[in-house]
Parts: sequence; structure tokens; C-alpha cells
Amino acid sequence: MSKDYVQQAGMNKDVRVDGKRVAGKLRFNPPGSGGSRPEMAERDLEFIPELEGGNEPQPAGAHSHDSFRTGTTVGKRTPLVDANAKVTGQAWYGDDIRLPNEIIGRIVRSPYHYAKVKSIDTTKAEELPGVIAVSTGVDAPSKFGVLPVTKDEHAMAVEKVRHVGDLVACVAAIDEETARQAAALIEVEYEVLDAIHDPKKGLLDVDDPIHWRGPYHIGSTNVQKRVFQEFGDRESLEDTTKAFHNGKWKFMGVNHGFTEPHAVVAHWDSNGRLQLYTPQQVPHYAHRALATVLEVPMHQINVIRTFVGGGFGGKSDPFPHEMCAAILARKAGRPVRITFDREEVFWVNRGRHPSHIEVKINANDDAKISGFEIDALIDGGGFASFGHVTSYYNGVLATAPYELGSFHYTGARVWTNKPASGAMRGHGAVNTRCAIEVGLDDIAEKLQVDPIDLRLANLLPPHSKTITGFRITSNGMRQALERVREGSNWDEKFRKLPIGKGIGIGCGFFISGSGLPIHWDPHNFPHATVHLQIDMDGGVTVHTGAADIGQGSSTAVAQVVAEVLALPLEMVHVRSHESDTSPVDLGSYSSRVTFMNANAAIGAALEIREKLLNAAGDILDLPSDKLVLNDRRIYFKKDPTIGVSYLDALHKSQEDIGALIASGAYRTPPMGGVHKGAAAGLAPAYSFSAYVAEVEVDVDTGLIKCTDVWAAHDCGKALNPLAVEGQIIGSCHMGLGQVLSEQMVYGRTGHLQNPNFLEYKIPSVHEMPNVTPIIIESCDPEGPFGAKEAGEGPLLPILPAVVNAVYDAIGVRVNDLPLTPDKVWAAISKKMNREKIDDARDLPAPRLDFSELQKKLIKRSAEHKLRDSRRQRREDEGPYLNGVLFGLDPTLPPEEQDETWKISVKPDSSQLDNLGLAGTAWTKKEQRHMEGEK
Amino acid sequence: MVGEEHVPMIPSAPSKAWSAEVNGQFREVLAPSNAILLDVLRDKAGCLGVKRGCDMGTCGCCTVMIDGVPRLSCLTMAHEVSGREITTVEGLANGSHLAPIQQCFADHGGSQCGFCTPGFLVASQALLNNNPCPTEKEIACAIEGNLCRCTGYQQIVQSIQAAAAIHRGEADAVVSNNAAHSDPHPSGPEM
Amino acid sequence: MLMPPFELHQPKSVSEACAIAKQLMLEGDEFDWIAGGTDLIPNYKWHINSKPHVISLAAIDGLSEITMTEIGCMARLHDIAESEDVHPIVSEAASKVASSLIRRNATLGGNLCLDTRCFWFNQTEEWRSSIDWCHKCDCGTGADCRVIPNQNELCVATYQGDIAPTLMVLDARVHLIGPDGTRVMPLVEFYKLDGMTRNVLQPGEFMLKITLPDDVADWIGAYRKLRVRDSWDFPEAGAAAAWKKGDRSTLRVATTALESIPRRHDAEVSESNGDVKAICDAVYKSTKPVNNTSLPPRYRRNMIKVLIKRACEE
Repeated sequence: MSKDYVQQAGMNKDVRVDGKRVAGKLRFNPPGSGGSRPEMAERDLEFIPELEGGNEPQPAGAHSHDSFRTGTTVGKRTPLVDANAKVTGQAWYGDDIRLPNEIIGRIVRSPYHYAKVKSIDTTKAEELPGVIAVSTGVDAPSKFGVLPVTKDEHAMAVEKVRHVGDLVACVAAIDEETARQAAALIEVEYEVLDAIHDPKKGLLDVDDPIHWRGPYHIGSTNVQKRVFQEFGDRESLEDTTKAFHNGKWKFMGVNHGFTEPHAVVAHWDSNGRLQLYTPQQVPHYAHRALATVLEVPMHQINVIRTFVGGGFGGKSDPFPHEMCAAILARKAGRPVRITFDREEVFWVNRGRHPSHIEVKINANDDAKISGFEIDALIDGGGFASFGHVTSYYNGVLATAPYELGSFHYTGARVWTNKPASGAMRGHGAVNTRCAIEVGLDDIAEKLQVDPIDLRLANLLPPHSKTITGFRITSNGMRQALERVREGSNWDEKFRKLPIGKGIGIGCGFFISGSGLPIHWDPHNFPHATVHLQIDMDGGVTVHTGAADIGQGSSTAVAQVVAEVLALPLEMVHVRSHESDTSPVDLGSYSSRVTFMNANAAIGAALEIREKLLNAAGDILDLPSDKLVLNDRRIYFKKDPTIGVSYLDALHKSQEDIGALIASGAYRTPPMGGVHKGAAAGLAPAYSFSAYVAEVEVDVDTGLIKCTDVWAAHDCGKALNPLAVEGQIIGSCHMGLGQVLSEQMVYGRTGHLQNPNFLEYKIPSVHEMPNVTPIIIESCDPEGPFGAKEAGEGPLLPILPAVVNAVYDAIGVRVNDLPLTPDKVWAAISKKMNREKIDDARDLPAPRLDFSELQKKLIKRSAEHKLRDSRRQRREDEGPYLNGVLFGLDPTLPPEEQDETWKISVKPDSSQLDNLGLAGTAWTKKEQRHMEGEK
Repeated sequence: MVGEEHVPMIPSAPSKAWSAEVNGQFREVLAPSNAILLDVLRDKAGCLGVKRGCDMGTCGCCTVMIDGVPRLSCLTMAHEVSGREITTVEGLANGSHLAPIQQCFADHGGSQCGFCTPGFLVASQALLNNNPCPTEKEIACAIEGNLCRCTGYQQIVQSIQAAAAIHRGEADAVVSNNAAHSDPHPSGPEM
Repeated sequence: MLMPPFELHQPKSVSEACAIAKQLMLEGDEFDWIAGGTDLIPNYKWHINSKPHVISLAAIDGLSEITMTEIGCMARLHDIAESEDVHPIVSEAASKVASSLIRRNATLGGNLCLDTRCFWFNQTEEWRSSIDWCHKCDCGTGADCRVIPNQNELCVATYQGDIAPTLMVLDARVHLIGPDGTRVMPLVEFYKLDGMTRNVLQPGEFMLKITLPDDVADWIGAYRKLRVRDSWDFPEAGAAAAWKKGDRSTLRVATTALESIPRRHDAEVSESNGDVKAICDAVYKSTKPVNNTSLPPRYRRNMIKVLIKRACEE
């Protein structure tokens, strides 16, 4: 503390000074001793739903959890429950685990893009004084991977290395210096193979594909996964096309750029059990993979999730270095700590796939989106990771929020000799979303209508089904669009700003939890389980496996428990770090934690609530349904003076059994179609968002400055608006990085040219626009208190909003992300040459005169608005499936109404000649179908 | 390694005594001549709150105050600052009382995953020590060397503004929703 | 990351520093100078051309003077940026260097003697081993240049300091000191067009200070920097211009981050008779950046026209 700073006294000296409790100064009465002045905060009616007698508006109607609201914490701006640990430096991240007698591990990595490992000689390293253990691939031959269908990773190279930085061996020594020296002494003999860096080449047959999948291998290409989906009949709708857009896009790969580098500590304890400390988003999947690779039962491993210094999808795979640490620790008999340099983080990668995406959109005379075609070739790097899912997401997550006449998607994910791509915030949806939202902007331009009105007149309503059969429940898309239009003063600015200034719109749609778990276990295991335990002291311990990675999942779980039991938040203690004490939770990915974990927690809390109410009812001799909970008391609804304290009720209900224990679980409802791949993209709920971005472009240099963003996100219900806003603004930052400056640059030789934070350009505070977060609450019927996700969806719209704003500013579209100044400048120069303009400031700013269609759209969206609001409030409960806008009967499946309406997941022979880039993967046959051809 | 001629490391540098007033406490340790302050603080002085994010000055997670000046400990030779006063995130609070800047980061969402937080806290405390009325621009300049991947900086700037108001005496130390309550009422229905 | 082993020497005076340098040279030991360390330490962490001895200038008093006509080599960029005594072009350039935190450590001397940069070179040891090293740090392998292959005579790494061009247009002189005494020369003569040797510093010599002409306060001008982010980033191109107030015929223009050295463009300016557009075109013609920073060379080369034009605006 500096000398100048004088500690300020708080309001109540007894209780707190400067916001932290003073140990020993809390008034404490031993439970059951009887106090003379029981106090109770008043019921906070502002946070009790209006249909329950409170003042909280419910425009979207009632929710089944309404009656459990106690006005305690849900909906209030709540600091994270672990914030104090973080602001005092006490939060323990991976590298902060320092066990006695620890040694330091170091990984030996491949210097080649692609090579056979012929031999490894570790003798010299082993002879070096101070080296305790050395390990190579032979010590761990079992494969693993986050998805059971694509286990293709080893702890260390078994046969081949697949990218520069791939793991070859590892050493552990008494200190880092010795470990590094030993790593340099390991001699590896390689046979260099022909490497592939361009994903387009991954579609071709080669001698030595990066992986070999036996009978299921596609030709002898490097195609890891291919997808074909056709819904509806695009050709027949083509005749009515009034406007057509064809956008060919290139997206560079981006990295999560979390600030905490990977670190892991492995320790085999005195009982021979593995204690593994790791910053993981998916400790459970790591747990499974460790058991497989180490060949020990899962119950002999305790995975301890440390604080996670940022994840964003980059810590959601079981990692080879975790295996290495465990193997080294087992060999050494001492704890092993491995911490990565920043460059190694880039070598692990799992960032967003570099992609080539082509989008074709047809709009008809009525400005309805009749044709929607996407072709996505994504560069998976050396391993599968989440790629199987990503391959689907690139298409299927584009099927909403708009009603489509037809949908056609071809996708392929190829292996290349780069660090593996994987899941990153907005998994699989981000790039395609950008391409289609920009496409819609172009369609609006061609139809001469306002792009916001175009969207408003083509939205799927709440409680409907998308063209591929996803079940949409709550849907706040319309409100989101309306709010950003109003907030940004859109109508005064769009196509009216001077050259160099622009405004743009973009929308987003994302899953709120994946409908199916990654491992299809028998007996329908739940996705999330939460245990509650309350002992006589009254404190509530919540056991959950949900991985808090900074998004505040522990806070959300604590909040819903506190809300149901009407207890102050500090009486709820979340224990989520250890697999030994936490029930299984699948992890922090696919935006599932709030939805699934909080639902499980509510289930457990309700069980406790019932016991408490029964006990209070016994004491008071009143039926329990006449009682309410509020601030540590349970009392008669009609007369608050008749009541008992929470502790009295608790002790009464504990009389026979001691601590109260309850368990809650969440599993998704059955849903979705039956076609191949129908499960990909299924979710119990979906989030919607709409952003308007304003930019300034320096027309001389091409430098873009995003100045303002109005960001509306439908998260169902903001359990904690502070955290939701944090997610929205943070998403803007991350998306802005991808659209303006971030890229993983693989140079001429295929080496990653910028594996550091100086050249991998994450926006600084100066690049951040002024973001106005707007929370839309559509109240999801199945969400906890109506909540849906807010962690990933908010990232999607910022990319197209900025790209569209840049067009509005300079009249040029650049379909190559990031929009680095050189690309923008080149596009401007090209236009200047074409139009023979010398000074960029003389360029014409884009203008748009609306056509007759505009009025039609406004009329249609007004009708739809009425429709949507009735459906949202369940005043209209009739079925609605995609296609009603095109005249289909909502009560029948479309394929039964229209012969030409087809669902196809494989191209027929006539289609093979007419496929997009990624689609050409379908021209190859799987090995098992090639017999007799050889 | 590819290049055969490349010689791996030569033996380590000689160690010498390093001392400093770390968070008000005199610390003396033996550190090699080439030691970097970040390594000494984390590995020898036990200040694990000082974080290593990039190790080359581009993330600011390792920021500490040296004689009141915010400095990147990853780019500071330990022996150059021997004998000085060093404040890390652990030294911001006064005993169990959080400093306003810490409380404001917690209450205004300035900290999400928390890994960059120690660096931000030290950099902003250093700013507030010299300038209790920073403009938004001045705040941005003070934290331009700190990288945050979670918050998008906006709530960090708001946290610093709120703390500045407390430093100026315009606002009371915030009582957050996490405020400690007294023990749950143990007594019966007398009201 | 782990520092390579070296011994840090901390002389308390300039003469002691020179003596240490002389002694090390006599013993045949290689060494580096360290000022702020913001350039040297990352390079050392990546084991780039590290030496067994490093002499720190931090403990020497009197090297951080900041006045209108003199700036010590150990003056921190933060102090230069904040100082009211410094010429505004110089403080403007200083305020744009890297980030506010880095400027607290970084020094004028370090910025002027900044090692040249290249994305084939500024990488970890493991990374550089994967490309079989490069000419600038070949680890004894005689590796070729990776930017322009098949010529291993010249290193084309780029000088990306911000302050040199501003001092050049203000006609600064640089004062060097070494075991053989002091030397003074115009800053424009300090640099040598080679990414390896970079400047005229002899073994054992280091920069003491820079001085500016007595009438420097009468000069006005500007520094313009091209970068993607307003923090952290080195200049992708930079231009400084200065002229004596009311007398455009005195116009001087200098650029940085385009080649291995910063350069003052006296010939281009005099040929163009003060016409800014003609200067821009002439500098554009005479400058040929290479592909070793984050933005493509063609773009950087074109941008120099915009930067010079903006720097020359009155």
C-alpha cells in the first residue's frame, strides 16, 4: 500500500470496513441460543415477478420457477463469489500450485511440420545430473481425444509428429534450467514427410495422410469429417429469385489468447492415487482421458481444477501435457509441475478454424429468404479435437433466426500440419454467421430495403422449429433488433453518414447447452448434477463439478440456491474444484453451465426447501404451502410475525438425520430430428442477439476504429446482470479482435509466424469501442428462472456488424478477415483506380433509396410482431415450423406436404459435379466402399 | 534440435544476495546474477499473486510497484531493484481490509477470470496514488500495457473510476451485495 | 521463460563501466549493455545472441538528464513523454512507444540502439531451431537469411524505433563513450545499413546522451506512426518532419521502421524543392521495406507517403 493512501472507515465499523468482513467482529450467536432481536430484511418486491405479487415486469409471461423466487439475489448485480480471492492475489491458478519436493517438467517438441519419429535416444538426458525422469511415446500408447468418435491424440508422438511443436518426449528435473538442458539433449531421429499447410490441398489424395482411419478413411485424403445437408428444394425456389448474393470468404485462424498459459501439476499421493491440478474447462473429460492413458481406474484419479485464467474453449480438451506430467510424476515419485511459455500455448492452439466459406443467399419478390447455401472448408490442423462437431456447427447454426425456404450445407474439415484447431467461444458458428449476416446486408442493398427491416420480416417466432428441426423455445430476436435500432439511432445514420463513417447491423444465434453429452453413457446419465449439504451451522455447501473459468458459474449456482432458500449469498459455499468431492458435470463448453447446472441446483435446493417448509409447518402448526421464505426466516404468508428462523426450521428437520443433503440433476428433454447429424446443434434453448456497430475508417490508411456498439443479447433472464454485461462487453472485445487484428499467421514455410502477444494482436484498451449492453429477457420456459446462455452468443454479431459498418463507411466489402489496414487500403485503392478518384476523401459514401418493398416489409414485420408476442406469452400454442412463411402447413412435416421438399444427408450422383469447395470431399469414397476398385 | 553446432546452456550464473522491502516486509534471498524480478518474486519471495502471462512485457499481468512506480517485473532485472520498496497485489489490502480499488474491481465486474487482475490493480492503484481524478483517457493510458481477455476493459475502467471517487472522498467504501451478514436469526417468533 | 546464464555487472559510474568493459574485452569475454532492458530481456529470454556478461547502466547517476537540448541515454521514455522540457516532437514519439508500462522501463539510449527486428528472428530458441536458424542468429550454423534467401551477406531485419527519426529531423548529435574516450557525431551518421551491426558503436562503447542544437525550440513538426493497435505495437512505418517556425525551406524529413536503419531524407527533400507530394513520392521510390514485420511491405511502403504528408502538415 502506498504511503499516501489512508484507509477509509466504512459506515458500520462493527461489521465491515472497506468491504471485507473483519474476522472476529461478526456478531455471532451460537445456533439455537435464542436471540432477542431477530431482524429480517424486507422482501425485495422489485425482484419478485409481478405475477407472484412483486414488481418485476414479465413481458414474456410466467415461468414455472416464479413461485420459488424470494427476491434474494436473482436479477441483482452480484459480484462474483470468488472475486475477493482474485483481487487479493489469493486465487490459485495452474502455476501457483507449489507442492513440497516438486520437480519441473519440460516438453520436447517437434521441429518439423510432419515427420516419422524413427528413434529417440534419451541416454544423454538421463545421464545429466539433476534429471529425475524422462518419458517418450512408448510409455503411453493409448489414444485419447475429447470426442470418443475421434480419439487421435497421444501423450507424446508414437509414430509421427504432425506439426511444429507436437510433443515428442518429456523430462523432469530438479529445476527448470536442468529440465531445459535435458530436453535439448534428447536426440530424435526423424524422417521428414511432405507437409500440408493449405486446407484446399487437404481435399486431395496423398501418399501419407496425417491420420489413417482404416475402412472409414475418405479416399486417401486428409478429410477428417465431411457433412452434406439438404433441406427443402433450393432449385425450385430459385425461379422466384429477386436478389442473389454470393460471398466467398476467407477467415484466418484465431487463438483464445487467454492470459494464463497452460500449467499442470501432477502428484501421486501416498496412497498411489493421482492428484492432478490443472486449469481445465472440462475436468471430467480430462479425468476420463487420464484414466485411459495412464491405465488406472478413474476412481484412482482426483482431478483438481485450479482457478482458470481464461478458457474460451482453449482449455476444453484433455491435453497431452497433462498426461506427460502424470507420467513423469509416476516415474519420478515426486510432484511434477509443467508451465507453458506463451509460444507453447499457441502450439496447443485449439483456436477457431481457419476457414474458406462460401455463402449463397436467394431472396424472392417478397424479400423472403428462399435459398440458403453454405459451403465451409475448415482447417483442422493436426488433430480432431472438437472438429467433428465444428464441421456441423458451421452449417446448422445458421438455420436461425430466419425462416428459410431451403437450406443446403456442405462442409469439410481437413487435417493439415498445423497446431490443432478446436472449440473457441462461439464454436463453429462465428465465421458462417459473419458471412451470412453480411450476405443479408448485401441482399437488403440489392432489394433496396433497410437491412433491419429485412431481418424483422423474416424471423422465426418463439416456440417454433427451424428448417433442420431444432426446437426454438424463447426467442427475443425481435426485441433485440428493435432495441439496437432505437439505441443507435439507426434510422438517422444508416447510409446517411459521410465517407469514412459507417454503421452496420449483425445478428447472432447460439446454443444454450449441447443437447447431447459428448459421451453417450448408458442409463441416461445426467448432464449436470449438484449436491447440497446443510449442517447445523446453517451454511449451505454446494458440490458441483461445474468449472468456473471466470464466467461466474459458481456465482450463478450459489445465486440460485440462495434465491430458493432465501439465504444471503455468503451462507452458500460452492465447492467445485475436486472431482473427488464434486458430482460429475460435463464442463464449461457449449454455453451449458448456467442452463444445466443452475437447473440441477434449483432441483436440489427445492428438495431442501420442502424439508424446511415442512419442519417450519410442524413447528408453527401451519400447512407448508401457506409459508414463505425470506431472509433467513420462514413465516406465515399473511402474517410475518408468525414464523420461525431458518435455523430453527433447519434444526427441526435435522432431528433424525443430521445434515440435510439433497441432490439435483439436469438432463435435456428428448428433441430433434432423425436424420444423420440431427443431434449436432440441438440445444434445450437458444440465445439470440443483435448488435449495431459504428466505425470510423481512415480512408488514407485503411485503419478501422470501432467507436460504438449497441449490443442486445437475449439471455432469457439475467440471473446476474453484472456478469451478463461483462460477457457481452467481453465478447465484443474478442470478436473485435478477430474482425480487426487477430490472426494466426502461417508464413511461407508454414511456421506459425506470430506465437506471442506482441504480434498476435489482441485489442488494447484503446481499440475498445464504447459498448452499450442491452439485456433482453425472453424468459425461457426451461431455463433456470428463465435464463439462457450469455457467454458465447454475444460474440457472433460483432463481426458482421463491423464488416457491414465498414461497407457503410467506404462502400467496399472486404471478405477476408481480419480487416487489417492493408486489406482495407488495397480495396479502397482498387475502387479509386476503378472510379478514377485521386483523393480517397472524394470517394462517394454509399447511399440507399428504399424501394416499394420496404413498406411491404414494415407491414409484414408488424404482423409478425403481433404473432411473436402471442406465441411468446403462450396465448397461441399452435405448432410452428419453418416454412409457414412460404405457405406450408405448420401441423405437418414439410416432406409430407410437398414432394419436392426433401431431406438429404448425402449427395446423389447428379449433385456430385456441382459441389462447392468443401463439397468436393464427397467425390471421394470411403475405403470400405472402395473394394474391388483397387 | 536441428542445428548440430548449437551448444546448449552453459552453467548457471553466480548467485548473490537480493533484498527488498516486499509489501512492507524486509526480504532477503539468494538470487542468481541474471535473475528477473518476476521469477524472484514468484519463486523465492512467495508472491504468487504476481502472474506470468507472456513473459515479455505484452500482457502486464506481472505489474508491481517499485517505489510507487508501476513496472513490469518480467522485464526488470532483480538485482537492479535490490534494496527498493516493492508492492505486489498482495500488498494492496490493509490486513483483511480490501483497498477501494480491490473492492471496486470485485463489485463492478472488473475481474472475471482474475488472472490479469493483479496487474491491473497495481497499475491502477499507482495511477490513483498520483492522480485521484483521472479522466477516462488517463485511465486508458495507465492500463494500456495490461491485457484483459475477459472483460473488454469497460468494467475495469468503471471499477477504477469508482475507486477514484472513494479516494477523493466523494463516495463511501462500497458495501457490495456480498456484504457479510450477521449470524442467521436463531430465535423464535418474537418480532 | 528462463534467462540464459550471464553475470550482471552494476557499475556506479561511467568510468567504472568503461573499466569493466575494458577488463572483459581484455579477457576475451563477450558482453552486452543493458539500459531499460525492454529490448534486451525478451531477446535474452529467447536466447537470442546472449552473452556471458551484461553491464547494467541503471546504477550510474547522472545519465537521465532531460532538457530541451540534452537528453541522457538512461532517461526513461515515460519521463521524456511526460516532460514539458523536451521538444514536443520527441515527447510525442516517446509517448507512442509500446505501452505505458514498457515506457517506465524503456530508455532513450535503448530505443536509439534498438536491435533490429524480424519475424524469422524474434522467436524462441525452439522456434528458430525449427527453421534451422537464420543469418542474424545462426548459432554457428552459417544459416541463410530467411527473408531474402540465397544471400547471407546482409541482414535485412528492420529497425523499429520511434524516437530516432524525430531526433534526426531536429539534427541531434549523439555522444558515445568507451574505453578509448568519447566520440560525438550527428545521429544521422550513427546508423549503419546492416541489420547485424546496426550502428557504429565499437566494442565497449555505449551511448551517453544526445544533444540538440541551441535553437531547437524554434523548430516545429510532428511524428506520425503507423500501427494496428495504439498500444504495444512497434511502428510498421513512421515519419517525422520538422522545420524552423516560419521557414519551410528548412524542412527535414526522416522515416523509420522501413529498413534496417532510420533515415533522414535530405536528398529527397532538396530535390523536391519543399513540395510535400514530391517528397512523398521520392521517399517512396528510395525506400524498399521487406516482408519481416506484421504488415506487408507494399502497404508499408505506400503508407510512408501518407505519414510524411501528415507529418508535414502545418
